[in-house]
Amino acid sequence: MRLQIESIDIEDIQVGSTTAVSDHTLSLNLKELEEHILEDTRISSVELNVVSPGDRVRIVNIADIIQPRCKIDADGEDFPGWLGRLTTAGKGRTRSLRGIAVVVSNSYATKASDTILDMYGKGARISKYGTMKHLSVHPHPSEGIEERDFEHAVKVAGLKTAVYLAKAAEGHPVDQTEVFELSLPDQKQSNFPKVAYYFMIHTPQHDYQGIADPILYGTTVTNLMPTIVHPNEVLDGAVVSPHTMGGLDTYELQNHALITELYKRNGKDITFAGIVTGVANMEEVNRQRTAMMAASLISNVLGADGAVLTKEHGGMPHVDLALVAEACEALGIKTALWVHLSHSDTPLSDQLLFSSDSLDAIVNVGQSLEKIRLPKADTVIGGGEDVRVFYTDFSQKVGDEYIEIAGATLAGAYDYTGGSRIMAVEY
Amino acid sequence: MNPKKFRVIHYVNEFFGQEGGEEKADMQFLVKEGPVGPGLALQKILGDRGEVVATLICGDNYFAEHIDSAAEEGFNRISSYAPDILFAGPAFEAGRYGVSCGALCKKVHDELGIPAVTGMYEENPGVDIYRKDIQICKTDRSAAKMVQDITNMVTLGLKLLSDEEDTRLVSGENIGRPSEYGYFPRGIVRNEFVEKTTAERLVDMLVAKLKGEPFVSEAQMPEPVDITPASPIKEMGSAEIALISDGGLVPKGNPDGFKMRANLVWAGYDVEKLFPDGAGPGEFEIMHPGYYTVHVLDDPSRLVPVDVMRDLEREGVIGRLHPLFYSTTGNAGIHKRCQEMGQEIAEELKEKGIQGALLTST
Repeated sequence: MRLQIESIDIEDIQVGSTTAVSDHTLSLNLKELEEHILEDTRISSVELNVVSPGDRVRIVNIADIIQPRCKIDADGEDFPGWLGRLTTAGKGRTRSLRGIAVVVSNSYATKASDTILDMYGKGARISKYGTMKHLSVHPHPSEGIEERDFEHAVKVAGLKTAVYLAKAAEGHPVDQTEVFELSLPDQKQSNFPKVAYYFMIHTPQHDYQGIADPILYGTTVTNLMPTIVHPNEVLDGAVVSPHTMGGLDTYELQNHALITELYKRNGKDITFAGIVTGVANMEEVNRQRTAMMAASLISNVLGADGAVLTKEHGGMPHVDLALVAEACEALGIKTALWVHLSHSDTPLSDQLLFSSDSLDAIVNVGQSLEKIRLPKADTVIGGGEDVRVFYTDFSQKVGDEYIEIAGATLAGAYDYTGGSRIMAVEY
Repeated sequence: MNPKKFRVIHYVNEFFGQEGGEEKADMQFLVKEGPVGPGLALQKILGDRGEVVATLICGDNYFAEHIDSAAEEGFNRISSYAPDILFAGPAFEAGRYGVSCGALCKKVHDELGIPAVTGMYEENPGVDIYRKDIQICKTDRSAAKMVQDITNMVTLGLKLLSDEEDTRLVSGENIGRPSEYGYFPRGIVRNEFVEKTTAERLVDMLVAKLKGEPFVSEAQMPEPVDITPASPIKEMGSAEIALISDGGLVPKGNPDGFKMRANLVWAGYDVEKLFPDGAGPGEFEIMHPGYYTVHVLDDPSRLVPVDVMRDLEREGVIGRLHPLFYSTTGNAGIHKRCQEMGQEIAEELKEKGIQGALLTST
C-alpha cells in the first residue's frame, strides 16, 4: 500500500470572507465554518477563535488536537468510520497543513483527563503545539443532548474542521511530499532484521461509565483481539484519539513518531515487518490470551526477528505490555519496549511495574506526571477561569495566579507515539 | 557587573577544627570567625566568589549522641550569619562525622532553603542516610586528595547558587547531573530534554540488541526481595481475619484525606457503617481515578468481599471477620510509602491478635 502525504506550511491565519490558502496564508470564513459545524443538530452554537504563539491565551477542556488533512483522490474518504464511509485508510494522496492545528474543547465533559495548552511562557516552550497557530473550536450542546452523544458531536466537529481547512488549500503549491510505501507480501529477503511493532492502542481502565470510545475506523476496541493493521492506516485517519484520555491527540497519531521512524529505518538497518495492534485487558485470562496471540502473529505471521512495543496511558497496561513482550521473547523474538514513569522522588528501580530478565531493553517516555508550574493567562478559551485542573485533586482553577499540573496535562509536552525528546534520568 | 560574593558557613569536626583529637570528640558547638583548617583550602578555592564568614565546629560524639537536637542547635548557631550556602566536611570515611555533616546540611537546607553540600567516601554510613535529602560529593577514603574533593564541592555549590535555569531539565531546576558534578545519585528522577526522540531511541536500542551490541536501558529492574511467607493458619474456624484494600473506599467526606494519586495515608474503618448488614450500601465514596467505580458504588462487596466473609463467619469457616476494614488508595503509589503502610497495618493487625488478612485490589 502506498500513501503520499503532500504538506503545505501555513504561516498565518486571517479571518476573511472566503476560506482559502494563498501564499502560505490561510484565510478563514468563520461564518461558513460555523454553519458547517452547526449542520450537526447536536450542537447549538460554537465559538471559534484563532490563536497564535505568544498570545497569553490558555485553551482548556481540550478533547482533541487534529492536524488539518483531507484526501485528495476523488474516491478518498476522510477519517473513515467517523466522517467518511468505510474504506481502507492509508492509500492514495492526502493533503496536510503544517504549522496549524484544530484544538477542540468540550467544557461539558465531567472527567479528570482533558488537557490544557498555553500559547505563552513555559507551557508554549515545552509543548510542540506552542509554535503553531491554532483554530480553537468550542461547541455548545443543544437542549436535551446526552453527555456521550455530545462527546461524539465534539469529535465530529473537530474532524470536520480539520478536513475543511485542508480542503481550503487545494491548488496551493506543495512544500513537501512524503511517500509511505510498504508492501509486506512483496518484501524481499534482506540482511536486515525484520522488526515488527506491537501497538497497544487502548486501555479500558479509564473508559468513562465503563463504555469505550470509538477509535478504530469509528468503532470501539475494548475486546479487540490482536489485529494486524498496515502502518499507513494509522497515519491516514483510521485511528483517532479517545474522548476519555487526554494526552494522546489525533495529531500525534497522524504523525505517529514510531511508525515514521520505522519507515525511515526500513532498508537502512531494519526491515519493517508490520504492525500488530492490541489492547490492555482488565482480566488476567484475557491479558494472557492477548499476549499469546500477539506474539504468535508477530512470529508466525509477520515472521519478525525483533519487536518494538509501546503503550499509552495507565500503570496497569505496563503489565499487559510486559506479557506480550515476554511471550515474544519466549518465541525467540528480541524485544525493546517503552514505559513511562510516575514519580519524581522515587528511584528508577522502584518504579518499574514488571520484572523479567528477558525484558532488558527499556526506553522511557519520561516521568509524565512531573510537576510543571505555569503562570496564568490573560484569556482562557474553551471554558471559563473557574475550570478545575486535576493534580492529585481538583483544588486548582485555570484562572489561578499559578497552577501546578502534571506534564501530561499540558497538551503536546509528552508524546505517547514517541515524538518527544524527553528522557527521565536518575539524579 | 560584580557577581555577588556568597556568604559561606563551613562545618567541621573537632579534629579538622583544630581543637584536638578523639579526646575532644565530646566538645560542644563552637563558632570561629573566618575559615579554619580545611576551610583555608575552601576559601582559596572559592576566591572572590565567596567568603567563609564563620566556621562551626562540633565534637563527633556530641553530635552523634543526639543527632536531631544537635542539628537544631548547630542551625541556631549559624542562622544569624545569613549564609548563602553551607559546606560541611568533607567527612571522608569517618562515620560519625559523615552523619553529623549530613544531619546539619539537611537541617540547614530544610530551614533556610539554601544549598548545603558535603563530601563523603562511598562507604560512609552518612551516604545512604542523607543522599536523598542533600547533595553529597564523592570523596576519597582519606584526606589525601582533599583539595580536589573540596574543589568538587565548591563547583557543585556554585552551580546550586547560580540562578540560571537549567535548560537541560524540563523542570528548569538547577541541580546538576550526579555524574557531572561527582555526587551520589539521590534516587530521584527528573526529565531531561535530549537530542533523540523516544522513537529513535527505541529503535536504536532494539537494533543494538539484535546485533548483540551493548546498550543501556533507560529503566531499572526492581531488586528482587525474598519474603518468607507467614505460617499457615492452623485453626481457621477460630481465626480472626481482616480485610484490606487499595481501591480507595472511604467513608463519605473522605475524613482521612486520601489523595487520588500518590496517596500516603491508610485508615481502618468500621465495617458495619460502610457495609450495613442487609441494609444496602452504606455512606461511602471512592477516592481512586484509575478504575471505573460505578460497580463498586452499587455494591462495595465487589471490591471488599464483606458479604462472603459474613457468610463464612456464620458458617463457622472462619472465626470472626475483624470489625475494621483497612483502606488506602493505591494509584501511582510511592513504592517506599506503600511498603511502610503495609508494615504499619501489619503491626496493628498483629497487636490486635488478628491471624490473617485478605487483600483485594482493582
